[in-house]
Amino acid sequence: MMPDHWGYVLAAYGLSAAALLGYWRHLARRRRALDARLRSPRAAAPGKAAIPKKAAIR
Amino acid sequence: MSARATRILGGLALLALAVGLAAGFGYAPREAVQGNVQRIMYIHVPAVLTAYLAFGLVLVGSIGALATGRAGWDRLAGAAAELGVLFTGVTIVSGSIWGKPTWGTWWTWDARLTSTAVLFLVYVGYLLLRAMVDEPERRARIAAVVGIVGAANIPIVHFSVKWWRALHQPSTILGPEPSPIAAPIAAALFVNWVAFTLLFLYLLLRRVELARLEDAWVPETRR
Amino acid sequence: MIAYARRTWIVLWKDLLVERRSKESLNALLFFALLLLFLFQFALGPDRERLHAALPGLLWLGFVLAGLLGLGRSFVAERDNDCWDGLRLTPGDKSAIYLGKLAANLVVMGAVEAVILVLFGLFYNMDLVSVAGPLGVVLALGTLGLATVGTLFAALTAGVRARELLFPVLLLPVQVPVLLATVSATQIVLAGQPLVDAAAWLRLLAGADLVYLVIGILTFEFVLDT
Repeated sequence: MMPDHWGYVLAAYGLSAAALLGYWRHLARRRRALDARLRSPRAAAPGKAAIPKKAAIR
Repeated sequence: MSARATRILGGLALLALAVGLAAGFGYAPREAVQGNVQRIMYIHVPAVLTAYLAFGLVLVGSIGALATGRAGWDRLAGAAAELGVLFTGVTIVSGSIWGKPTWGTWWTWDARLTSTAVLFLVYVGYLLLRAMVDEPERRARIAAVVGIVGAANIPIVHFSVKWWRALHQPSTILGPEPSPIAAPIAAALFVNWVAFTLLFLYLLLRRVELARLEDAWVPETRR
Repeated sequence: MIAYARRTWIVLWKDLLVERRSKESLNALLFFALLLLFLFQFALGPDRERLHAALPGLLWLGFVLAGLLGLGRSFVAERDNDCWDGLRLTPGDKSAIYLGKLAANLVVMGAVEAVILVLFGLFYNMDLVSVAGPLGVVLALGTLGLATVGTLFAALTAGVRARELLFPVLLLPVQVPVLLATVSATQIVLAGQPLVDAAAWLRLLAGADLVYLVIGILTFEFVLDT
């Protein structure tokens, strides 16, 4: 009969939870950064203002 | 999918995970041969099944991207690949931690772990490739071809590793799966598998949404 | 159909001609093979038994490493010399280009493998002549598996950042089953057993080769569009 290895069980569950949670938080962080960029004044007038035309060839 | 529906899905996933946890520790009994260490299986098996689902979606997205040329398919492929790598990592780590007290070693070249490791390597390469191409259309096509090759290779890897193992080592007595699976264990496995699938779908939706927004804005904010 | 075959032949002929005139790849690859021989000997030490036990694996490691170098360069000439658009604008079925390139790669790899075999036979005192037939079959199937995916991925990575890193990173995991099959089959053949003992492995190789070839043919035109 095998002894219980609760340490290993905890490690497995803990690491898995950390990985999944970490990815979810990573997604949330990128989403927040994107939202911040969207809300910035430069984004207020997309199209003409956001893509400056190269007027002259240097 | 609307933001609200996605949030509901996330809540459902969380609930299912909680139920799965309860099932894994409360409902399912202590396994006769391996003891409580066997409970790691309630992560390991659902994770690998979810990973296969993810890589199946990578194939679907890759074929769709080539067939239709629409960016949405490629976003699906890329998102699914990220999640597939994540869940494969969980599979490998949980399998390794399970193996240490069970077989006495952190790693063993048994058929499933080896196949899973090769899968991991293939799709990490796929993600690296995606990271090296900036233009969305180019990236979509290049990634799609690799995605198709990677997916087509999965059964080939499976058989080659299985036969290779049969040659080089007789099967171990303590395999990862107890042969006849008791009903409570099967039930707990099923619940956890459903929970993982829900979690996967939720994360997939969020990742695809993120990609869609980034693709719309990156060309302009990059100036 | 005739035009298709002709286009394939033209690509093959052009590549072999370029190679014959410049001799850059082939000479370097052959020298690389010689270096590998020494490397393996030094890495595994003077123990004769250990080296002989590892020979099937070392043989295929040699082929794979040489393949990585040789195959990775398949489309570099076109990409670096701005000929890529020339490929893209070829009339007709683009997969003819893929087959032509594949054929050229097979010829070069075949030459390198033959030399590696001779060197192995000499330096490690292996009797390869008696098993030449079966060994040839294994070699053919294995090299096909390496070259089909290698040629496709070479085209894929030709225009990508860090292509010299990405090519091996992408190719090697996909080659795992081919490697397992060829090493196992080679071991059987080198032990003097009849080819039929390796039938399962050879069937796997043949099946894999077919899958890779079909995918290459079907997807090559998409690769060119990048």
